[in-house]
Amino acid sequence: MNALSSNKDLQLLNGNHAVAMGVKLANPHFAPLYPITPQTPILEKLIALQSAGELETELLTPESEHSAMASAIAASATGVRVFTATSSQGLLLMHELLHFAAGARTPIVMFNVNRTPASPWGFWPDQIDSLSQRDTGWVQLYSENPQESLDTVIQAFRIAEAAQMPVMVNHDAFYVSHAVEPVEVPAQETVDTFLPAYKAGLHLDPELGRSLGAPIDQKSWNESRQQMAAAMATVGDLTASAGQDWGDLTGRSYGPLEQYRTDGADVVFVTMGSMCGTVREAVDGLRARGIAAGLLKIRLFRPLPQVELRKALADVPCAIVLDRNYSPGVGGVVHQELKAALFDMANAPRLHGLLAGVGGVNVSAEMIERLAVEYRDAVASPDPVWVEE
Amino acid sequence: MNMEMINYKDDGQFCSGHVACAGCAEALALRVIMNAVGQDAIGVVAPSCSAVILGGHPMSSVKIPFIHGTLESAAASASGVKRALVAQGKPDTTVLCLAGDGGTYDIGLQSLSSAAERNEDILYVCFDNEGYMNTGGQKSSSTPLNATTGSTPTGKSTRKKNLIEILAAHRIPYIATTSPSHLNDMAAKIKKAKTIRGTKVIIVLIPCLPGWGVADNAAVKTARLAVESGVFPLFEVEGGLTYTMTKATKTQPINDYLSLQKRYRHLNDEQIAQIQQDVDEDWQRLTTRAIEADV
Amino acid sequence: MDDMQRSTLWTDALSENRLTGTWRNETPDYRNLPSPCLGACPVSGRIADWIGKVEKKDYRGAWETLVDNNPFPAIAGRICHHPCETACNRAQLDETVSICALERFVGDTALSEGWAFPAPPANAPAQSVAIIGSGPAGLSAAYQLRRAGVGVTIYESQDQLGGLMRYGIPAYRLEKSILDGEIARIIDMGVTVKLNTEITGAAGLQELRVRHDAVYLATGASRPKPLPGVDYDQPWVQDSADFLAATNAGQDCTLGAHVLVIGGGSAAMDVARTARRLGRKVTVLALEPEAMLPAQRAEVIEATEEGIEFVTGAMMQSAEPGTDGLRIRCTRVDFKRGTTRGAFNITPVEDSEFTLTADAIIPSIGQDADLSRWQDLLAGDGPVLKADASWHTGLDGVFTGGDVASMDRFVTQAIGMGKEAARSILVYIAPDVGAADAPADDPEAGFSVINTAYHPLAERNKPQNADVTARLGNFKEVQQSLDQSQAMTEASRCFSCGTCTYCDNCYFYCPDMAITKLDGGGYEIKSDYCKGCGLCVAECPTGAIRMQEDL
Ligand SMILES: Cc1cc2nc3c(=O)[nH]c(=O)nc-3n(C[C@H](O)[C@H](O)[C@H](O)COP(=O)(O)OP(=O)(O)OC[C@H]3O[C@@H](n4cnc5c(N)ncnc54)[C@H](O)[C@@H]3O)c2cc1C
Ligand SMILES: Cc1ncc(C[n+]2csc(CCOP(=O)(O)OP(=O)(O)O)c2C)c(N)n1
Ligand code: SF4
Ligand code: SF4
Ligand code: SF4
Ligand SMILES: [Mg+2]
Repeated sequence: MNALSSNKDLQLLNGNHAVAMGVKLANPHFAPLYPITPQTPILEKLIALQSAGELETELLTPESEHSAMASAIAASATGVRVFTATSSQGLLLMHELLHFAAGARTPIVMFNVNRTPASPWGFWPDQIDSLSQRDTGWVQLYSENPQESLDTVIQAFRIAEAAQMPVMVNHDAFYVSHAVEPVEVPAQETVDTFLPAYKAGLHLDPELGRSLGAPIDQKSWNESRQQMAAAMATVGDLTASAGQDWGDLTGRSYGPLEQYRTDGADVVFVTMGSMCGTVREAVDGLRARGIAAGLLKIRLFRPLPQVELRKALADVPCAIVLDRNYSPGVGGVVHQELKAALFDMANAPRLHGLLAGVGGVNVSAEMIERLAVEYRDAVASPDPVWVEE
Repeated sequence: MNMEMINYKDDGQFCSGHVACAGCAEALALRVIMNAVGQDAIGVVAPSCSAVILGGHPMSSVKIPFIHGTLESAAASASGVKRALVAQGKPDTTVLCLAGDGGTYDIGLQSLSSAAERNEDILYVCFDNEGYMNTGGQKSSSTPLNATTGSTPTGKSTRKKNLIEILAAHRIPYIATTSPSHLNDMAAKIKKAKTIRGTKVIIVLIPCLPGWGVADNAAVKTARLAVESGVFPLFEVEGGLTYTMTKATKTQPINDYLSLQKRYRHLNDEQIAQIQQDVDEDWQRLTTRAIEADV
Repeated sequence: MDDMQRSTLWTDALSENRLTGTWRNETPDYRNLPSPCLGACPVSGRIADWIGKVEKKDYRGAWETLVDNNPFPAIAGRICHHPCETACNRAQLDETVSICALERFVGDTALSEGWAFPAPPANAPAQSVAIIGSGPAGLSAAYQLRRAGVGVTIYESQDQLGGLMRYGIPAYRLEKSILDGEIARIIDMGVTVKLNTEITGAAGLQELRVRHDAVYLATGASRPKPLPGVDYDQPWVQDSADFLAATNAGQDCTLGAHVLVIGGGSAAMDVARTARRLGRKVTVLALEPEAMLPAQRAEVIEATEEGIEFVTGAMMQSAEPGTDGLRIRCTRVDFKRGTTRGAFNITPVEDSEFTLTADAIIPSIGQDADLSRWQDLLAGDGPVLKADASWHTGLDGVFTGGDVASMDRFVTQAIGMGKEAARSILVYIAPDVGAADAPADDPEAGFSVINTAYHPLAERNKPQNADVTARLGNFKEVQQSLDQSQAMTEASRCFSCGTCTYCDNCYFYCPDMAITKLDGGGYEIKSDYCKGCGLCVAECPTGAIRMQEDL
């Protein structure tokens, strides 16, 4: 235990308020916000903090998420630290600008609360909103619980600013966003030690007079993507070192992936977000019953830590992906990604892709134990399988 | 000679070597605007002819920095720049936003309305060439009645949107129209706008050479006739209520104006009469409002 | 990271590195072009130029520009037939610029300010030119030669200088003090004057030719054309030239109470109006119908205002003294203009005889040049002396001009001819000194190159006439001058056709910043950037810049 973390400030916070507390500590200069269930508590908390004089951030409440992201990009390009938050429809409305933000290399941090997109209308946990933005160039991190959300949003600024790439942190609607838990809120000095004051890179400045994003030829556009590739290649390590440094300061370490009781496992569940909590419970249950189960949690989804994934699953006989999302016509996005990541690996596991929890349907620990028993010896099908309680 | 001399100062804020069409009035307007705005400014430009004129990576034709933003969010981007400047303790730096009529009357109206409602401290300049010219000349909601465009091959069947009244309804501190035929007016309005805090919108009429079918040397003449015929009156609206005509007379019938442009060459006498009637009525309404504001 | 982003995201140079001049097919060319008024002006006065100076209140500068071509602005400003005003581009917008009145304003200013011509340069090698006749042609040549430093001697048969300007044109149109003032200024440059010295014939001319390096012969046309069937010895007949010479010299009229002036030209008007001022009842009888009278319209109107009666389209057949004056039998005629200038055909209309009464007649049907006295040496060309394009006669070193050598019988034509002859004489006597600039073949700056948007409609400041009642019984000038503010506003009406006013429009309307203002004034095209759009040309208010195809 580190000296700083011995002086713990434990507060009962829901996931969204935990995010807001993390944002307050990271102290961005600018945050445009637009309400949407279930993200709204982040907005409300930040505005409340600002009204109370506890937050210096310049807040903007425009007419749409689209304008929120447009202003975020422009402010970031002007040389300040920027945060925004959204969910589902709002994220999808931003789509054009997500590409833009990444292309413009604006290190914005955005919190997205994973929610089913319409139609039909639904307000339930489902990760397809953010997963469908996987090609926009945003770094994507998935959080399992309120504490991790607070910790990750702070780390996200460090990763974004070091890589000069925007970072999106996601947690599940209600299961995390509205779940109240005791959360340790770190001291400001802790955060200041971890996250240095913002230092803008090249930015819009009358004294420099240089313009951003002017029309360009094919070759240079191509080159811009190669530059993004190089930046993305640093993110795995940046995520690891940020998680490590955070652990040194707070006692809570993180990495791109987390392995829970995978040693000698016959069957390993691979999933993201709140599902990880349920899987942990199931793993404990299975281990108690003598079934060697484990959990491989993907925290960093973009860039996908392929090398680490291959290492983590080498020689594992069976892996079961639990996808709380559905890409119509293909299946679970994580399943697809994993298949690609493990391609051509001699000692790869039999890989099952289960569509579990799509649209927020409940996936209990008992169900997961049942699935482990059912699938650990089964022949893997390349197609996804819909599973229900 | 009995003429008004052009008297703004060109400090070289807009540079030679830009890629505007030969004789482009938008480039001409940019010259005035960039010099009137000066160096302490950051710009946002929406996809439009201006974006092309300003850019051509890795070169820039302007000395102030610009972000080349998206078509529908110019005013939001400008708001972001302004807020960042405020956060940096530089609230006096001008934020200049450039967009076309497509980016203003159409796809960007939502974000502009929001910025105006928030009274963001930005100077928004709309280059109104009455169509989507950068994409080869399609109609926008600013395209006037009967004008042909790529998407209205037989002439547009509805009138030009009255954006100024929409903006006036937001009660922003300053709205003005200006024309590349009136360069002193343009420089004066930009300078005036610069001194005002809050949202300022200036609409500049830009006769587009290929889009309107105007000769390479005739953009200024066309713009002048638009002003003199009352098709494009020069005026200011302060606080959304106080209308002031900055050119008080309408001296030309519209025929000369229309006949300079290929987009109108299919018009019959009845259509011309209709346009004339619309112009007369609009002028009457506008000048009445200006007189009422005066008392 | 920044270094990487720099290359694809952030601009790092100004567009000045891109040379858009390669797009161009045509380049603007600054060239002052002759204005239509200049083209029409008999002295080729740089009208746009001096009017521009009037507008800037630079009267001295305006005068200096004027007298470059014409030493008589105050005279020309009164009596020039002003073809410039007919040619003026502004007439196509609203009304002509009052060029003539402005010229008078400048000329009068110079006289009242006492401005003198600069002292001529030293006359080395000592060269001299003899000038025969001191009308406008002779004086103009004298002035131009003296300016160049050449010695000049004028031989004049009369006792005063000025020719028809003095003994033809009456004082109510050209005040004598004005005439004296503008002539004195020339003589003050060091011109030798021999008055009362008639060169009577070939021998005298030969002698002058020997004594001087060249001779300029400008004896005018002062021999009256006789009216057939009129006995000039009768006391009730007086020729117009004699009448005007006498009255101009201040002598009274010896004729009866009602005079019939025969002729419809300007000279006839002068005779009629002079007689009217001397208290006579005056009738004008002319062959031409009223609308075709050769006199200027304004003269006819003013004469009518003054109470002069016109009997037009008619011809005198005989005049006989009766008990109460002359009975003058006339007949109506059908008048047809001929194909050459001044030529006409008349057919008497049958049974249209009528009778007029009067106390005297003054035939005023024109004057001929007396060529007979030179005939041994100089060839004629119809009614005038023969000369080549440089006004050189067939006799080496003898030049000519004015009424004796041309049918363009106007004061300013004579001044222009005098100027041209002076130039030829300079070339003749000192080829290396006097070579004239090659005439530029630039097109005229016509109305189509004027951007009228910069020239708002503006009412013309016309010179006003004195009230009719104030005109009779005296010889005070009829036409009044413009006052200073009228002159300024009138000058501002001038388009300055073809002459750059340095208004900066071209500079400001270039969308490519391809025009530089030069330190010493003027402009230059940056060919690296000019795209050849032609906006600078289109927005030039004066037509002083034009597009030229790139080579
Ligand atoms: C009544 C009248 C009114 C006119 N009004 C106008 C008018 O309003 N506007 C206009 O533009 N024009 C007018 N003209 C025409 C104009 O005056 C002449 O065209 C002009 O004066 C011609 O100039 P000149 O120098 O050739 O000859 P002149 O003016 O005729 O001068 C010739 C001079 O030579 C002298 N001379 C002649 N023979 C000899 C000799 N052998 N030896 C020495 N000296 C000699 C004469 O005495 C005279 O002084 C008018 C003419 C007349 C007759
Ligand atoms: C969201 C979006 N849709 C379409 C376009 C394509 N586009 C680029 S410029 C333009 C026309 C813009 O017209 P206007 O704003 O009037 O500017 P102009 O080209 O006439 O200068 C369009 C439709 C775009 N850039 N973004
Ligand atoms: S407008 Fe002036 S320059 Fe042009 S023709 Fe008339 S007087 Fe001459
Ligand atoms: S626009 Fe003005 S400055 Fe340029 S050439 Fe014409 S008169 Fe001269
Ligand atoms: S306006 Fe400029 S670019 Fe166009 S022709 Fe004139 S100098 Fe050349
Ligand atoms: Mg447009």
